[in-house]
Amino acid sequence: MKLLNTILVRLAVALLPILALWSVVFYFAMVEEINDEADDSLEGYAELIMRRTLAGKELPAVGDGTNNSYVLEFLGHDKSVVPSMQYSDSLVYIHEKRETEPARVLTTCFSDADGAMYRLQVVMPTFEREDLLSSVFWHILVLFLAIVLTIFLATIFVFHRSMRPLYRLLGWLEQYTPGKGVSNFPASPSVVEFRNLIDSARATITRAESYFEQQKQFIGNASHELQTPLAVLGNRIEWLLDNTALTNEQAAELNKMQQALRRLVRLNRTLLLLAKIDNGQFPEVADVNIAELIREEAETYSEIYAGRGIECVVDLPQRLVFRMNEELATIFVTNLLKNAFLHSPGGGKISVYTTGSTLIFANSGSEALDSTRLFHRFYKQGKTGNTGLGLALVGSIARSYKMKVEYSFNEGRHLFKIGFGI
Amino acid sequence: MKLLIIEDDASLNEIMCRALRSEGYVVESAATFFDAEDKIAGYSYDCILLDIMLPDGNGLKLLEHIKSLDKGDRVIIISARDSIDDKVAGLDLGADDYLAKPFYIAELSARIKSVLRRGSAAVSRQMKAGNIELNIDSRRVSVAGSDVPLLKKEFDILLYFMQRPGHIVDKAVLAESVWGDHIDAADNFQFVYAQIKNLRKRLADAAATYNVKAVYGFGYKFCEVEP
Repeated sequence: MKLLNTILVRLAVALLPILALWSVVFYFAMVEEINDEADDSLEGYAELIMRRTLAGKELPAVGDGTNNSYVLEFLGHDKSVVPSMQYSDSLVYIHEKRETEPARVLTTCFSDADGAMYRLQVVMPTFEREDLLSSVFWHILVLFLAIVLTIFLATIFVFHRSMRPLYRLLGWLEQYTPGKGVSNFPASPSVVEFRNLIDSARATITRAESYFEQQKQFIGNASHELQTPLAVLGNRIEWLLDNTALTNEQAAELNKMQQALRRLVRLNRTLLLLAKIDNGQFPEVADVNIAELIREEAETYSEIYAGRGIECVVDLPQRLVFRMNEELATIFVTNLLKNAFLHSPGGGKISVYTTGSTLIFANSGSEALDSTRLFHRFYKQGKTGNTGLGLALVGSIARSYKMKVEYSFNEGRHLFKIGFGI
Repeated sequence: MKLLIIEDDASLNEIMCRALRSEGYVVESAATFFDAEDKIAGYSYDCILLDIMLPDGNGLKLLEHIKSLDKGDRVIIISARDSIDDKVAGLDLGADDYLAKPFYIAELSARIKSVLRRGSAAVSRQMKAGNIELNIDSRRVSVAGSDVPLLKKEFDILLYFMQRPGHIVDKAVLAESVWGDHIDAADNFQFVYAQIKNLRKRLADAAATYNVKAVYGFGYKFCEVEP
């Protein structure tokens, strides 16, 4: 989930109950206040009638348009009645409207100067109050939603403004490839935390770059330095074989040493090649007809592996042009083909073909390989004796040209798919 | 034929000297830039083997120096670097060949022969062993004057052997040099056996005085056929 969405969800979770509770409290406070006002007005009306009754003045007409009504009862000198005041809710029939409405009723008993008791019931229909309450309710609801929406919009705006350095850093990290340096790194912003984050990120990446550089140089230098002692060893063994009288046993031993030495030489050469590819030391590019290259190489391999009865079918268009270094193109193709030939069982089948913009090398096999480690150095499965660097070379070359190489296993076939996206 | 070996590694320098002397060359050696400069100034060599990564000076400068003296010395660069760029740079400066470390003495010897042959302009790229004649340019082989047709790989194998008469050639080394990077240590060398078998048969049928002989069961040697 995006950070913004997380923040909004959390804000909503925190704000909704608080605002809802606040709205409920506000609503009931308003209701209370409105009831209070209504009761005050009832009381005022009752007082007016009482005062007029006691003063013997004319009482207000009932149908005066206010929908208020009253009933005045003379109770005489009934000692059981005491002066009182009581509010209640009930239903009354209103003549003007010809319908029954909920009403607030004030029942009060009072006595005049002679001690005669009166009972006054003042009725005030409450439909106005209901209207008022519902209006208050809707206003609060709208206000509530408006507040939530405003908070959200403000949050989104503030978020985008404040988080810009973070997104710049993320964007930079996404396009970052190790070994390519720290160019165009986002500038330090004024916010302390972001400045620290970006400065630390820059420091870490610079350090990693320097390690990477050192490691590359180390591999390159070590491989170069090894060449001379390897030459010494090889030449001395060769001299022994050529110039001294050796027993068959001695010669056999020397021969085995030479074989091991050859493996060492090959390994060293390949490591050097990998280091050079990763260092981008093959800058020249040309339009290479990969299809033609594959056809030639496949023929050579068919010749070398003729004894194993492997069928190799190359089904490619006449021209399939990759823009890359010619030397690397050859290494790329030979290693993919060599891999296919080397790991196909006797009598197996190899096919090279395209689907859309994908070049596929397929060969027979019994079980899937570990696709996460397949393009790593020294990953070997089953067969021993090879350097375990062939596919690492393929991976390295693909990486340097941003080509996508994928491995999959389907119905007894290893598939190496190369996306060339032309 | 006089050679100068300029190589800073004492052990490699010594074995190169010894191996090339046993092939009949007069060999001198130098281990440093100044030592080499001295020798080049004082003497003339048919072929100079130059390690371009000398500790006290760039070997390529030495190469420029050799070429500026214009004494007609042939130069073979020996280098731990084997990229095409390095080779092109060396050859552009006038080196006659470029050999990457590690190399086989047999390979070195063959390169020296080839460079020296180019030195004597009259001789075309023709090689001879017993009654076998091989022309590198026309890719034709004849035994006792009559053409022997060979397939492409058979020719490459014969050429490889003819450059190394008397040397033991390991089948893996042979395979590597004829088939290049295509072969792998994990391969068996059935394809080499098959090609060699055909080549031997063709040479024997033509009554060649030299042929490929199996040695100890590990490799081959190109030598005179015992009557």
